[in-house]
Amino acid sequence: MESSNQLRMMVYASLFAALTAVGAFVAIPIGPVPIVLQNMFVYLAGLLLGSRWGLASVGVYLLAGACGLPVFAGGLGGIGRIVGPTGGYLIGYLPTVFLIGKISNRANPRAIFDVLAMICGSVALYACGITWLKIVTGMTIAKALVVGMVPFLIGDALKIAAAVAIAKALRPVVRVSGYEKLS
Amino acid sequence: MAELTSFSFRSGTSLLHRLDVRFKLLFLILISLISLSGDFPRLGIFTCLLTVLIINSRLPLKSGLKGLQFFLILLLLILGARMVTTPGDPIIEIKFFSITRQGILSGVLICWRLTIIVLLGFAFIFSTRSFEIKAAVEWVLKPFAFIPGKRIATMMGLTTRFVPVILNQANETAEAQRARCVENRKNPVYRLIRLGIPLIRRTFERADKLAVAMEARCYNENRTDPELSATRIDWMALVVMILICGLVVSI
Repeated sequence: MESSNQLRMMVYASLFAALTAVGAFVAIPIGPVPIVLQNMFVYLAGLLLGSRWGLASVGVYLLAGACGLPVFAGGLGGIGRIVGPTGGYLIGYLPTVFLIGKISNRANPRAIFDVLAMICGSVALYACGITWLKIVTGMTIAKALVVGMVPFLIGDALKIAAAVAIAKALRPVVRVSGYEKLS
Repeated sequence: MAELTSFSFRSGTSLLHRLDVRFKLLFLILISLISLSGDFPRLGIFTCLLTVLIINSRLPLKSGLKGLQFFLILLLLILGARMVTTPGDPIIEIKFFSITRQGILSGVLICWRLTIIVLLGFAFIFSTRSFEIKAAVEWVLKPFAFIPGKRIATMMGLTTRFVPVILNQANETAEAQRARCVENRKNPVYRLIRLGIPLIRRTFERADKLAVAMEARCYNENRTDPELSATRIDWMALVVMILICGLVVSI
């Protein structure tokens, strides 16, 4: 039973890695800037899979990208994307998913902890992203904030709101090892 | 994935195609790291090398540039930001902004570095089959006993397999909702939820079936590895590469 459970979690984690990859291409066209689903899927990986398997999922996504499989936004993989100007956001997914899993993955999932977890997660994400953007391009910190954070904040708030509802609807469906004792 | 992106493997017989994948990965990392800290003469040498390789392997640059248009826009933004913000001798002055010589130089330098790194990645994907990449990952992770290399390689394989499945499902869901006039709903949170729930739920059902199928077929991590073999060309390429990198670093 233990190994079959592990196999299912492994397949789930791969699925979320693929969802993260696809999320860069799937967008909802509203207003001038389409809402890209990628970081919502990363949040959901933390919420639904927990910290350990969420981390595995993002790790596999990054590794696949680093090896040159075309999974990053814009279609081009390769180690160049990770050391490139937007690479900090990619690396930042690791602490993000871990934090979200740690904070929200408790025996009795509640929406308020989910929101808190995702806010902590996005803070970690922007901390990594902005720092790296600043180092690689040599912008000032204020400029890096304007280019790399301010335009995305509204979209992130919307995604967090949606992710709470999606996680609530899907937790009973997704039979994740940690939650099985509940049902 | 082929219709999604212009960056994919194309078969060929060039030098890049014949090199062992482990050596290619090593070269990729080496050149990326050196050019990240390189200045004009170093980048010049790498550009010459890259040009020779690109011409030799008949890289489809035209379709590549089309896929890279967002990257090019980003490059222009960085160039502009550097030109305006770096202090130095002004060349052109327009009211508040002054474009400086130092700014242009440093902007061009940064853009050049990033272009080299991205083109390297392009050349790598173009000339390497995905099962070779998987084998290389297993080989690299083998010495680290605490990392389950075979499981990670399998997960990478599953991930690339899931991508077209999810894309089809996302298209199908979006079409179905468009047919039901979802575009009249202006609330983005509603749209995100209505797209996210069926998409994830259905792909999870697929994943469940796949897990059961793998179990039924006795999936096991102890299986025969794909063979990677280094030939004389690889070692010669390694020696040439070390010479070039030594030359570049010593400049």
